[in-house]
Amino acid sequence: MSRGNISLAALLWLIIAFFVLYPLSYLVVESFKISATGGWGISNYIEFFKDTYYLKTFGNTLLLSTLLLLTTTVFGVPLAYILARYRHRGKTIFTALILLPIVLPAFAGVFAFIIFFGKYGTINLLLMDFGLIEEPINFIYGRHGLVFIQALHMLPFIVLGLSAGFTNIDPSFEEAAEVEGASGIRRFFTITLPLCTPSYMAGAVLVFLWPFTDWLTPLILGQVDYLPSVSYINIAYHFTDVHRKYMGIVAVVVSAVVCISLFLLARWWVERRKYTGLSKGTTSEGRVIEPSRPVKIGAYVYMIFIAILVLLIPIVLGLAAFSRRWVFEAFPTHWTLENFRLILLESPGLIKNSFVFSGIALIFGIAFGLPAAYLIVRTRVPGRDALDFVITLMLAFPGIAIGVSYLLAFWKGIPLATHWIIMPLALFARRLPYFLRMAHSSYLQLDTSLEEASEVSGASKIRTFFHISLPLLLKGVLVGVVMFFIMAFQEISTAIFLYRGGWETLPIGIFLNWHRGMEFGIAAAMAFLMIVITFILLLIVSRIGGGVLKAAWGSGEQ
Amino acid sequence: MRKKILATTIFTVFAMGLLLLPVLAGQAQAADKIGWVGPVYKELSASLNKGFKEYYKKTYGKDVEITFVRPGGWPVCVDKVRAWAGKPDADIFLGAGAPAHEVLKQEGLIVPYRPKDWDMVPADWHGMKVKDAEDYWTCFAPWIVTNLYNEKVLKKLRLPPPKTWNDLLDPMYRGNVVHTLPYASGTMHEAIEILLQGFGEEEAWRYLRLLAAQLSRFSTGSTDTTQLTARGEVPMGIAQPQMNAMAARKDGFPVKDLLPEKTILVPEAVALLKGAPNEAVGKIFLDWLFSMEGQKYVLEGRYFAARTDIKFSEWEKEGVEMATHAKKALGVDSFWDLQVDFIEYDLDLATKRWDEVNKKYEMEIYRKWGELKNSLFLIEEIEGEIEAAKALQKDVTAAEAKIKEARKLFEIDGAYAAARLAATEARAVSAAVVAAAAPAAKAAPAAAPEMQVPGFILILLILALLVSVVAFIVAFKRRHH
Repeated sequence: MSRGNISLAALLWLIIAFFVLYPLSYLVVESFKISATGGWGISNYIEFFKDTYYLKTFGNTLLLSTLLLLTTTVFGVPLAYILARYRHRGKTIFTALILLPIVLPAFAGVFAFIIFFGKYGTINLLLMDFGLIEEPINFIYGRHGLVFIQALHMLPFIVLGLSAGFTNIDPSFEEAAEVEGASGIRRFFTITLPLCTPSYMAGAVLVFLWPFTDWLTPLILGQVDYLPSVSYINIAYHFTDVHRKYMGIVAVVVSAVVCISLFLLARWWVERRKYTGLSKGTTSEGRVIEPSRPVKIGAYVYMIFIAILVLLIPIVLGLAAFSRRWVFEAFPTHWTLENFRLILLESPGLIKNSFVFSGIALIFGIAFGLPAAYLIVRTRVPGRDALDFVITLMLAFPGIAIGVSYLLAFWKGIPLATHWIIMPLALFARRLPYFLRMAHSSYLQLDTSLEEASEVSGASKIRTFFHISLPLLLKGVLVGVVMFFIMAFQEISTAIFLYRGGWETLPIGIFLNWHRGMEFGIAAAMAFLMIVITFILLLIVSRIGGGVLKAAWGSGEQ
Repeated sequence: MRKKILATTIFTVFAMGLLLLPVLAGQAQAADKIGWVGPVYKELSASLNKGFKEYYKKTYGKDVEITFVRPGGWPVCVDKVRAWAGKPDADIFLGAGAPAHEVLKQEGLIVPYRPKDWDMVPADWHGMKVKDAEDYWTCFAPWIVTNLYNEKVLKKLRLPPPKTWNDLLDPMYRGNVVHTLPYASGTMHEAIEILLQGFGEEEAWRYLRLLAAQLSRFSTGSTDTTQLTARGEVPMGIAQPQMNAMAARKDGFPVKDLLPEKTILVPEAVALLKGAPNEAVGKIFLDWLFSMEGQKYVLEGRYFAARTDIKFSEWEKEGVEMATHAKKALGVDSFWDLQVDFIEYDLDLATKRWDEVNKKYEMEIYRKWGELKNSLFLIEEIEGEIEAAKALQKDVTAAEAKIKEARKLFEIDGAYAAARLAATEARAVSAAVVAAAAPAAKAAPAAAPEMQVPGFILILLILALLVSVVAFIVAFKRRHH
């Protein structure tokens, strides 16, 4: 426990304190302010839980979360089982497709589905043309649409966790059950599924928390009575109605508290329930079944069905991006590059901003993440677990909470928000865990003996780091770098509160173009551009990291 | 030792990041600057941006850097300026109608400036103010509050376009209407003000409650309304600036506007913000905006030009592309030649109750939307039952009185829960009368709250379940053998 380690830890804590703890505590403090008297008290909270409207939004959000979790689970369990257990061709490509939504911006899906499933979208028009229906079916406007769109976005989290679980189960457990005479279904529900619960929970909690974070999907669908959308409207539309602003902040704090406590609860539960097998010989591939023909066909149909839904997003957006006024036509007829001309000529700043802000955030992320991972894995500095804990907690924080807290905290006292550096800083804080987790797991995989050997041979610690550790870490770190960049690139919930004229990023541009009404085509084109950029980045990662599955979620199990 | 160097590395990387700042920030130091804030549409800001940059370069031999912020509709923009509290991040308040500018004037957030060609804009029109007599704000792009409909979709649904405000309440349009909230859009606010001043307050709130039951949803802004209507997602959009139909038609959308029988002029105006950091450039911009050249860029930005000495037919000859569309959309050669049924509009009253109206609408209608619809639908259902009982020669006077009370509670008082209760009582009364005659008849159960049909999800769920169940059963069977 050298002094260097301690001072490094102190420095990292200082950064955490300034960029995470200070703004978030500012947010909490602000929520206790009373607009009428200028004093302090819990009356805002009392009002929040007494007002039928806020209660309704809270209830709506909880209901949506539950429905979302149910839907993703019902769809995810068979999917994960198929992916993990069945031997079939095209496994990699299906896995990649089904996991794709993780890296696609959440709002991209909404635009695609409005175009495809809208009242006069492709499906409805086709159905009407064939005379199957008289009036358009409402596919997406309403709670069912929200569940559909959000479920598709969150499905990978369930599938990833579960399929990892299915793969890692020691086959001997199931075989034992089989020998004892348990039927297939009984075995699945009594042995296989319980053994997977810890890995399922890790994804499930993220799914459950998503409706507390996603304000844009409800807003675009015109269903605003959900907690994050209401807080967005309260804070972004009513700057001067101080009371409403405080109520909005209360809503943010409430959702943050819900998120954090559920996250911690799940973590604690997973820790407690971790099953430990006593067997030794597990095959790396797990148990793989060669299913019968009808099952195989069924599995393929099912996977193709999900894959098509996922693929709809880039395909529909691509079509929309290269056409203008795609209305009342099942497929566009008027092809043009006008959308891209408008984006590239009139607002090239958006693309530049996106790259510059995400890039600078990435520099911060690396500068913070590498030493932090080193501290957490390799040293015994006091407080390193707490450091890990705080950083992981950022995963559960709604983006809105970070955006609002930055706006409040860096406005008067420390006027950072008047300079554009606030944008990359906020992105850095919001995406903090992504790089760190990657660096963290790479460090874990790096055998200490290599470093020790280097030091024994007389190399200094720094020399060891640059000549031994870094090259060995490089692969994991690079995957982390790209993942961090992708996540920062598509971030909107935080940035939307902080941007000013000239600082717009691509996601904000998409939001503004949608909000301005007639620019649906441009918004779609921008979303398509983002998807293309993300694809290219992913390709790079898969080259480095090997396997698109890994690329999508780093090293899988966290 | 190693950590020291590690720490130094971190510092270096951070420092590098910080060093980038002045480099990137310093790029744009050379040009003059001007900032606009306001709710105008993108086409206008883009057109003015282009025109003013050219003009500035030509006249002053320098570049001008323009920033434009559009935080939202008028009320949101006004709030933004309020939040700046006299230290604005912009110089010009670009757009929004008279009430917004009056609010800013009263709160001392704008300063008077008389642009050079100020005289070319009329002082008032049909009793409505077009510019401020004390030079605080001047209209540069007048328009009229209209409603919008999608020709193609209405035809497909076999619905005639509604002609008047009251037509919109027809049950056949239910679920095919959309509008936004008055706090999100100035146009919606003005539409409510039209109803308040044109029909009287009680009647207006009654109307708004009934209209809310017709909506398929609330949009998030008047531009969102335009988009939804143009794309046909909801075929009728309430409270739209007149030029939106022109712009959408030019883009090829089958959209038409309806001038309702009662409406007002909205003088889309411009003002100089108090404490503007680039006041001199701001004044140059205002002078240019009202010049013949500036007004052409206004029209090219798909807004109607405000000068009285403009003839669209002349501009058409000069090659102003939008002049043709404007002539076609308005049917006259200058905006000021329009003949419209205007109400008598009290601007002072509108300014005074600006926030109050927005709040009332939100609290009484928007936040209780679900309750409102449930209540009205139940009342309508029971009214139907009473009518049916009446047709069977039953004496339903008591029930009729009760249901009338329920309607009054709903329409006038906005007491939706109480109205529901009264309606249920009316149902009980009428059911008792009917039951007395025919003991077998039973009262229908109370209407269930409206449920959204999760048809799609349901189908998917069943499909997935079926597939997975079959897969599992077969798989396990197979393994057993």
